[in-house]
Amino acid sequence: MKATFPHLLHLDIALGVLYPALGVEIITPPPITQKTIEIGVKLAPQNACFPLKVTLANFIEGIELGADTIFMAGGVGPCRFGYYGQIQRIILEDLGYNVNFVLLDHPRYGIRPFIRALQAMAGGRVLSSRVIKVASLAWKILRFSEELETERRALRAQVKNRQQLDEIVEGALEQLRQVNNGESLQAIQEATRKKLNSLERKEIEDLIKVGIVGEIYIAQETKINFNVEKILGDLGAYVHNSVSTVEYVLHTLPFTHSQEKLEAWKLAKPYLKRFVGGEGIDTVGSTIRYAQQGFDGVIHLYPFTCMPEVVAKSILTTVSKDYDLPILHLAIDEHSGEAGLVTRVEAFVDVLERRKKLNKRKLEVS
Amino acid sequence: MDLYLGVDVGSVTTKFVLMDEGKNILASCYLRTSGDPIEALKEGLRYIEKHFPHDGEIKGVGSTGSARHLAGIVVGADIVKNEITAHAIAAITRVPEVRTVFEIGGQDSKLIIIRDGVVEDFAMNTVCAAGTGSFLEHQAVRLNVPIEEFGKLALRAEQAVRIAGRCTVFAESDMIHKQQLGFGKPEIVKGLCEALVRNFINNLATGKTIEDPIVFQGGVAANEGIVQAFRDFFQGKKKIIVPPEHGVMGAWGAAILALEYAPEKTSFSGFEVISRQFESRSFNCEDCPNACEIVILKEEEDIKALWGSRCGKWTPATVRKRWEEKESSEEPLQREEESLVEG
Ligand code: SF4
Repeated sequence: MKATFPHLLHLDIALGVLYPALGVEIITPPPITQKTIEIGVKLAPQNACFPLKVTLANFIEGIELGADTIFMAGGVGPCRFGYYGQIQRIILEDLGYNVNFVLLDHPRYGIRPFIRALQAMAGGRVLSSRVIKVASLAWKILRFSEELETERRALRAQVKNRQQLDEIVEGALEQLRQVNNGESLQAIQEATRKKLNSLERKEIEDLIKVGIVGEIYIAQETKINFNVEKILGDLGAYVHNSVSTVEYVLHTLPFTHSQEKLEAWKLAKPYLKRFVGGEGIDTVGSTIRYAQQGFDGVIHLYPFTCMPEVVAKSILTTVSKDYDLPILHLAIDEHSGEAGLVTRVEAFVDVLERRKKLNKRKLEVS
Repeated sequence: MDLYLGVDVGSVTTKFVLMDEGKNILASCYLRTSGDPIEALKEGLRYIEKHFPHDGEIKGVGSTGSARHLAGIVVGADIVKNEITAHAIAAITRVPEVRTVFEIGGQDSKLIIIRDGVVEDFAMNTVCAAGTGSFLEHQAVRLNVPIEEFGKLALRAEQAVRIAGRCTVFAESDMIHKQQLGFGKPEIVKGLCEALVRNFINNLATGKTIEDPIVFQGGVAANEGIVQAFRDFFQGKKKIIVPPEHGVMGAWGAAILALEYAPEKTSFSGFEVISRQFESRSFNCEDCPNACEIVILKEEEDIKALWGSRCGKWTPATVRKRWEEKESSEEPLQREEESLVEG
C-alpha cells in the first residue's frame, strides 16, 4: 500500500512522521501550484467547492507519483463537505484510476466505521501503545507547525527583518520533517523560540490587529488564499487566525473537545443557534471573540458559493454593526484574481488605520 | 509654488493630475493605456510638463491604479496607494458630506460607503465585465454608435426595453433579440444603461445601505444615459452628484494623499524620465509548476523592479545572476531571447 492524502497547510509534515513510523508507505503529493489548481478545475464538476477541486488534484498528483491508496477525511453535512470524499471517489473511478479510497467519516455517522477507517489508515494495526506513542508525537508536530505560523502572523508586522523571520519559520518546518522522537522535537522547539525571541523588533505605537475567520481549508491554506496573512503583515498588521486543524481534530474526535470552539459556539448563540455545516458557527463566534478582544477588523475567507459561510456572511453583517467591527469578506475560487484581492486588502487596512486614528482623536477630545 | 502630482494607471486608461497646495487642479489628462503603461506615463508627463507653471516645484507624488507599483517606480512616487482609498479621498475632498461613492471605470467598478468623512465599507468588482465601461464600449461598437453619443441617445428614448443584463454574454444575445423585435436604437441603448445600473447594484450593493449624497465618478460618469438610469433606479429620491473632475478622481486622490503624506524630499524622477529608456520584459519561470510570469522593469541594463514571483526567489540580484550564468554557459543565448517576451 502506498497512500496519498490532501495537503492542508503543514499537515504533510506531521503525516510524514506518523506514517513511516507505523510502517505505512506514503506518497506526499507535490506542493500545491498553479498546475495543481488547473488539474482540479479541469476534472471536478464546475460547481463543486474549490477545496474539493484542489484536494482532488492532490490525489491525482499523488497517484501520478505511484500512490494506490487515498486517505481522506469527510466532513459533516448539511454542507457539501459531507460528500467530498464520496464525490472524489466517484470522479477517480470515472477517470479510470484504480485506487483504494479510505474515507474517515465524521464519528457522528457511526463510531464503528470511524474506528475501522482509522485502523485502515494506521496500516491495519490495532491501537497498541506504540501506535499511540507515534500518534502523539505526530500530534505534537502538527501543533508546533501551527504554533510557528501563529508566531509568524503575529510577528511579521513587528520585526525589522521579515526575511529573517521567514527563514527561521521555514527552517524549523523543514527540521520538523526529520523528527523521530520527543527529544529532537523539543530541541527544535526551544532553539526556534529562542531565535524568534531574539529577532529585532520595531517600535510601533498603534499596531492594527486583524483576525481571520472562515472555512477550514481556504482560511488556512496560504497557497490557495493568496497568502492574505502575509499581505496583511507586510502592510503592518498583527494577524491572528482563528482557524486551526488542531482545534478541528479535537472537536471532531469522540473523546476530546476544543475549548476554543465550544467558546466560539457559545458566543455565536445569540445570532445562530442551528448547526449550518462546515465552520459557519465558528466563523460567527470567532468574529465576536475578536471584537471582544479589541481587534480592529476581521477578514472572512471562504470558498465562493460555500453554503455555511454564506449563511455566516449574512449574519456577520449584523455582528459588524452590533460590535462596530469592520469585516472584509473574501470569497476565493479558481477565478479569484490576485490584483483585485490585494487592492481590497490594502484598502481594508487603510480603513482600519483611519478609524483607529479617528477614534484616538475622539478619545483625546472627550 | 508647491505642487503635487497624482498618477492613476489602470489597464484601460491612465490619468494625471497636477495640483497646488490648496488641492486645486491646475492640469489633468485622461489617456488610453493601450497596453503600454510606460508610454502612457511618458505621454502624461509630457502633457503635465507643457502645462507646468514657471514658478512651480513638485513636492510630492502619489500613484494609484492597477499598475500603481510600476507607475510609482517610473515617475518616482512618494506614496503608492490602492484605488479605493484614492477614489474615496478625492470624493471626500470634493463633496465633504458624501456618503456613497459609485465609481465605474473601464476595467472595474467600485462602491464605497463613507460615514463622517471616513471609509466605512467598500466593494469592488473586477471579475464581471457587465458592470464596467468596457461593457458599454463593446455594445456601442455592436450598435454602431460612437461611445460619446451613447448617453445622449439614451436620453432620447421614449421608453426602455428591459435587457437581461446579468452578464455580457446574455446581454448581447438579448440585445440582438430586442433589435430583431424592432425596437429603435435609443430604446435599446437606454435598456443597456439600465442593465448596467442593475448589474452594478446587484453585484456591489447587496446588503449595503446606499445613502445620499452619492458621488458618481470614473470614466463612465460622463455618460448621461447612465446617470439618468441611476436617478431612475432610485426614483429620483437620492441626490447624485457627478463632479466635473469625475474622470480623474483617482489621480487627484493620489495627489491629495501625497500632500497629506508630506515627504521631506520627494522621490519624483523629474521630467527627464520622458527621455529615459524604460523597458518592461517578462519571462516564465520554469523552476516549479507555478510557472510564474516574472515581469521586469529595466532601464538600459539596470533592473529597476520586478513582480510576479510567487515564492519570492526572484529579486533583481537573482535575475542578474541567472542572466550572467546563462551568458557564460554553453547554452546559446538564443534560448534566453526566446523566453524573453517583450512586455
Ligand atoms: S518564481 Fe518561484 S513559485 Fe514561481 S515558478 Fe518560479 S520557482 Fe515557482
